Order: sequence, then structure tokens, then C-alpha cells
Amino acid sequence: MMKNSQKVERESRKKRRAPGWQMALIALFLFYMLVPIISTYVFSVATRWDRTILPEGYTLQFYEKAAQSSYFNITLRNSLILSLATVLVSLVIIVPTVYWVHTRLTRARPLLDILMILPFGIPTVVLALALVQVYNFAPLARSPLLLIGAVVVYSMPFMYRPVSNALQAIDSHTLTEAGQSLGANVLQILAEVVIPNILPGILSGSLLVFATVFAEFTLTSLIVGAKFKTFPLLLVEYTRINGNVAAAFSVISFTIAWLVSMMILWVGTKGKAASPEASSLN
Amino acid sequence: MAYLELKSVTKSYSGIDVVHDFSLDIEKGTLVSFLGPSGCGKTTTLRMIAGFEQLDDGSIQLDGSDITGVAPNRRDIGMVFQAYALFPNKTVRENISFGLRMKKTPKNEIGRKVDTVLEMVRLQETANRYPHQLSGGQQQRIALARALAVQPRVLLLDEPLSALDAEVRVVLRGEIRRIQSELAITTVYVTHDQEEALSISDKVVVMNKGIIEQVGTPEEIYRAPQTRFVATFIGTANQFMGIASGRDTVVCKNIKLFADGVKSFTDGQEVVALVRPENIQVQAEQPQRSDWNVISGIVETITFHGAVTRLAVNASGQRVVADVTVANTKPVSLNQKIWLLFPPSACQVMAAEE
Amino acid sequence: MAPKRKNNSYSNWAGFAPFLIFCLAFEIVPILFLIRGSFFEKTTGELTLSHYFELQRPLYINSFVNSIELSAITAVIGVVLGALIGYAIYRWPSERVRDALITLSDVTTNFAGAPLAFAFVVILGLNGVITQFLIQYFYIDLYPTFSIYSFSGLVLAYVYFQLPLMVLLILPAFAGIKKEWQESAQSLSASAFRFWWDIGIPVLMPSLIAGFTLLFANAFGAYATAYTLVQSKMSLVTLQIGYMIAGEVRQDPGVGMAMAVLSLIIMGLSIVVYQIATARARRWSKS
Repeated sequence: MMKNSQKVERESRKKRRAPGWQMALIALFLFYMLVPIISTYVFSVATRWDRTILPEGYTLQFYEKAAQSSYFNITLRNSLILSLATVLVSLVIIVPTVYWVHTRLTRARPLLDILMILPFGIPTVVLALALVQVYNFAPLARSPLLLIGAVVVYSMPFMYRPVSNALQAIDSHTLTEAGQSLGANVLQILAEVVIPNILPGILSGSLLVFATVFAEFTLTSLIVGAKFKTFPLLLVEYTRINGNVAAAFSVISFTIAWLVSMMILWVGTKGKAASPEASSLN
Repeated sequence: MAYLELKSVTKSYSGIDVVHDFSLDIEKGTLVSFLGPSGCGKTTTLRMIAGFEQLDDGSIQLDGSDITGVAPNRRDIGMVFQAYALFPNKTVRENISFGLRMKKTPKNEIGRKVDTVLEMVRLQETANRYPHQLSGGQQQRIALARALAVQPRVLLLDEPLSALDAEVRVVLRGEIRRIQSELAITTVYVTHDQEEALSISDKVVVMNKGIIEQVGTPEEIYRAPQTRFVATFIGTANQFMGIASGRDTVVCKNIKLFADGVKSFTDGQEVVALVRPENIQVQAEQPQRSDWNVISGIVETITFHGAVTRLAVNASGQRVVADVTVANTKPVSLNQKIWLLFPPSACQVMAAEE
Repeated sequence: MAPKRKNNSYSNWAGFAPFLIFCLAFEIVPILFLIRGSFFEKTTGELTLSHYFELQRPLYINSFVNSIELSAITAVIGVVLGALIGYAIYRWPSERVRDALITLSDVTTNFAGAPLAFAFVVILGLNGVITQFLIQYFYIDLYPTFSIYSFSGLVLAYVYFQLPLMVLLILPAFAGIKKEWQESAQSLSASAFRFWWDIGIPVLMPSLIAGFTLLFANAFGAYATAYTLVQSKMSLVTLQIGYMIAGEVRQDPGVGMAMAVLSLIIMGLSIVVYQIATARARRWSKS
């Protein structure tokens, strides 16, 4: 009996660690995902790195050069404007619509779902071509306004998913009826009842759209090009001019994307904690 | 030596024994039930027999050889799960023939064996259907057929009927018993439903908190419970708390009861006298018997159960339940004063430990 | 006062109108014009198939072949590796590690584009970190046989964001493989290999197909990564269309529109297959 139980104990302890093949696959995965990113970060602060395993020296000069480049401030500003404008337009167009379809127009739900899948089926270059061909007249032709329209279309699904899920979670239908039975109209219900309760979803959607648009290259370069240079465009330019500065730009780009992802996660967990209280509206 | 032997089997999670020092001999061809409330360790023990849980101590022998360390796919054991677990991408026929294919049975034999078990569970017409096209009861019968097709040495069933409707349950448990005894296959059946266990088993193992409370035939378990847990878990029992006095008396708060078997307890020891409701007679007038226990009380509730009617009676502050049949009792009404009688032999006395 | 609730009445469609108008204006109508334009000769205004015939030129045939090859190869690699890695993550004992890996996948699948392409230049370019590492320590010179600015370079870069996408997609599918099926199979003497071969993989198949089509469409429509890495060195459908918009090539816009229409058909087919496959996958998990 003793021998048996000892053997059994050792077996059960072994099971708690992951088997070899699992660890190997995860290690490969981590290597593949992290090495390019980390290398870029290191490259951006390396004086010289083409002869040795680790950089020969460290410097911040490339970040200085990046900040001093003539277009740095302009492109950052443009990217910010574009992202914020897109978020705003998306919110105004999508949130009321999703609410409306959820509560008053349930028959349109399949149509809304299809419209929200559509952008995934249209390659960005095709969208750009279509828009540039049709809107070839002033004031829209090759203008930031047209770009905003394009980018809103491109990012629609990213705003839709979190908001739609949030509405479903709080049972907007019943809350609306409760509000109506107490004499409120649609706008009041939206403003005082619905939106406060789906704020985490709205925030997630906004952050996602912001991050997606901030990194957007295709539509921007094809629709407006140099007339409205955004940060990604500047980055691509520098990849052909100065690799180290381009690396600095990449680092800025990665860091912003990574920060926004963390914020989205944080909002997500906060939202989960808040919803039980939020949905009990007495 | 018994066909299936469990010796001092123990299993613990995070320092707590889920199954403790479990020893049991199961004879070949018998149906043994593990019966108990949820969390008592019955499923864990079953899964250790199957090989899906590792023992922390003890051993399991099957047909003379130790299977404690053998992998589950080499134990030659058939298993039926609560959730049917039919393979969704295979037809009924393909599901049943799966185990036979794993054992490299020749193709012509497979067809024959599949037909045989399908006939046994009376579902021949479903052979080419998929699981999602069958009802719950049908799926469970196919799961049983699948386990039996390979003619395993032991059949294990883990609460197989819990997910089904009440009527289906009654019919299906009879089917399972019929097939089991026809095939004379050694079977272990886990359930929390005592009616199920009592109606189909050769032996019942009553479990509580990881240990065996009692092993016996269904009659033994019901008529002669050995622990308080068994007495109260199986069927209903009225409990009278009191002090043992002399050879045949239990002194309770307001009543003195005559009971058999008081002499095995010391004077003054705290005991509990258990009386089953069906052993209590009800009379509207004061009875004349002096050798039986007689208690008077007020009828508080009357519940109709079809064949019997259950009366809850307030006897000087103690709630007593009595079952009466329509045939041999005059109807009683609420708040009526009635007399309950039962012989000393209907009183089972046990020590009042918790 | 009784609650006023009119669901699905005609007047309620008015509330849906603004969104519908926006979609029509910036999405649907332009695409319809695009499709129409591909059949029209711009100068004469006649109906024609000449643009589609133009696509038989080697340049355009090459771009389609390249795009489809690139998308298919990265999709297959993404599905196979992604499923294996997904399974490794799914079975990892520590929940914290699993969550961290899922978060990592969430973040990295959105890294596609110029910065990512450039990151690969940093590690595998002519003077890249890994290139140098291999030369110094293993005396292997990747160049000139390999170049990051080529098809294989693109494959490496694309797989980077295809892998985590597949991982995220396949993880919920593994949850649908019930433990009882595995235990049943074991009690019927099946080895782990036979379980996966007979039951596990067939049940996963719809999700695997869904993953393939999604990854395929994802790669086919990608532009920025390719633009940064290969530009004029290799012809891809998205790059060609891009050139025509930028007016860099003196071509009739009609050809660009014809290419765009073909791309839409390819993407459309992928999405249809994707929807069918996910519906099938949902059916398995219900039984």
C-alpha cells in the first residue's frame, strides 16, 4: 500500500505542470510575437547594431530627431483630429441607431448585422477606390471630410460590437418600457437611463475605434495622401529615409496601441464589476 | 475473492478527504448502487474505478488483478454519463461501433454486435440518425448500448437518469435493470435518488461525506438502518430525542416511549427513537391498548399522496408524521384531536451523536 | 397612462434612416457605382467587358496569383499553428498565464501595418538583428537567397498577425469539446490520437474552416504591410488597385474597378463560407 500511494502522489504532482510539447509551442509563440516588437524598441535607442548581438551603445538622439522633424507635430495633430472626429461621428451615428433597433425596430436587426459585417468584406483599397471615383467633386474630393466618412465605415464594426453587447446585457427593451411607463420620451430615456448603463461598452468601442483609426494608413494615404498627413504616413516615409528614426516612430505607434489596449481591458473589467448594480434600476 | 474489490480507497482535494478508506467487495453479475447526497463522494469513487481519477491511497482489483495504475482506455470498463456524451458527429450506429473498432473487431462482427445491442435497448430504427435528432431518453439508451457493445467486464453508470423527465426515468431504470440481469454484467450505479437505488439494486452502499454508512440489500437498508444518517436519509422517520431508561423505555420531553433494543444503551444515555410514518396507526377515539405507544395530538396538515395520505400531527409540541391508507382509516379533518399508536417494535433506537 | 410601444411600425423606420443614409452614401452607393463603372468605357460611355479582358495581362494575372497564394499559405500556416498553439493555451494549467496569453493575442493581432512590417525589417533585414545573429554565431548568411522584401518576407510578416487571430477564434471552439466525449472514448479503449482523429477534429472542423476563410480574407485585403515591405518589387491585387488610385500608373480606371470587383467576389465568397461554417460550429455545440 505504501509504495502504491507514494507512486500515486508523485504522479499527481507531475500533472500540475504543463507537458513539454505545450511549453515548446507557447515558447515559440512568445518568441514570434515578442521578438519583432522588442527589437524595434531596442533598435530605436541603439547607436549601432549591425555587427553585434546587443547594441554597441544607447542613445536618445533618434527620438530627438523624430520630434524635431518638420512634420512631427503636424502629423500627430492630424492623427489626433482624425481619430477623435471618427469617434465622435461613430458615437452619434451608431449608438442611437443600435439602441433604436434593439428596442423599437427589432425587425431591422438582421439588416443591421449585415451592414456591420459589410466593412469586413470590403478591402480598404476597394473602398478607397469607390469613394474617390464617386466623390470626385468639390468640396469632398480628396478631402479630410471624405476621409472621415471612409474611416467611420471602416471602423463601424469595432464600435458596434461592444455597444450592442452592452445593450443586450442590460435588457434595454425592458428598461425602455419602464421609462415610458413613467412618462419619459425616447431622448430622455436614452440620456438618463440607457447611456449611463452602457458606458463601459461605449468606452470600449470608442477606445477601439480610436486605436484603429490612429494606426490607419491605407485609406488616409489613398484618399487624401500628402494633403492631410497623419502619423502612420510619416512613419512610412521615414522607413525609406532613416531606419532609426522610423524605429522611434514605430515605438511611439506600438506604445500608443498597447496603452489603448490596456485601457480597453481595464474598462472591460470595471464594466463587469459595475453591471450588476447598474442593471438594477430601482 | 470478489470480482471487483476496492481496498481502503482514499482521495483528497486540498487536504480534505473526499473519499475516505472506502472498502467494498462487489460480486460478479450484481448491481450495486452508491447512494448518497451530493458531495458524498459516490461519483468520485466511481470515476476512480473507471480510471478518470487517481487514488491517493488504497487499491482496486478487478478479476484478480490490480488495476489501480492502469490507464482508463485499457481497463475494459463501460461507462454511461449523466450527460449522455454521444459523439455528435457520428450516427447511432457509428457511435455504438466506435468501441468495437478500437478493439479491432472484424467488420462483419461489428455489424452483428451493433444490431444485437440496438435490439436490446429497442431502438433499431434509430441506427442511422444523429444524436441531436434523438430525445434525451433515447440518447441515454444509445449511450448504454454503446457501453455494452464491447462487452465490458464492469458497467459503470454515473447518475444516468438525472437529466431525464420523471416518467422516462421510471421506465428507463427498469430497462437498465432488465438488461443488466439478462447479461449478468457486474454493474456499479451512482445515484442520489433513493427510490431508484432501492428499486433496482442487489446491494446498496449508502455514503455520506466520503465514508460508507451502510452496505446491504434494499430491505436491510430500509428496515434495519444502522446509523442515524441512513435512517433519516432513506425514507422518512420521526425522530424522538430522549434518555434511555431501563430495558425498554425512552424518556422524551413530554412522552415516554416503549421501544425494543433500549437495553443495549446505558441508563441516562442520550438516544433518539426513530419511527417510520407507515408504522403508525391513527384512531379518532382514545385506544385501549396498553402495550403499544399511544400519543395524542392535533392534526395540523393533511397531504394527499394518492395511495397514502400523510398527516402531520402536533403532539405536545413535537411534530409527528403518520401515513394512512384510505382503505383502513376513517377520514380526519384539520384541528381534530386524534390518537397515534405504534408498537415498541416499530421504534428503532440509536445513539444521539451528531 | 398606458405605455406607448409600437414595435416595428413603419414610422419607426424613420429612426433607422440616418444610419441607412450614411451607409448608402459612404459605402453601398459608391460600391454599386464601382461595379457599374467596371462595365463601362469611361470615354465613350458604352457597356463593355474590355476591362475584364485587360485583366488577362500577365501583370494582373500575376497579382491575383500572388495574392491568392499569399493569402492561402498564410491562412494554412495560421490555422494549423494557431490551432496547436490555441490548444496549448487552452490546456495550460494556470489561469493567469492563459489570460495573459489571450491578452497578448488580442493586442498583437491588431499590430498589422507599417510599424509591423518595419519591425520585421529590423530583425530580418540585410542588417537585421536575427540576420546578424545567424551570421555571427552559426555562420549562416540568409542573404541573398532570402530577403525580407519578398514573398517569403511577406509570409513571415502576415503570419505574425494571422496566428493570434486564429488563436482567439479557436479557443471558444475547444471549450465546446466536452470532456465526457474524451472520457467516453477512453472507456471504449480509444487512444488520445484516435479520439482527436475520429471525434475531436471532425467536431472542430467547422471552426477550422471558419478560421481559414477569415484568415484568407484578412490577408487578401491587407495593404499597408505589403506596401511598406515590397511595394513595387511584387505585384499584389491590393497594391495594384492602390497604384491606380494614386494615379501613379497611366491606366484606365476601369481596369482598377474590374480588379476591385473581382476582389469583392473573392471576399464575398470567403464571408459566405465563413458564415456557413460558424453556423455549423454552433450546431455541434448545441447537441
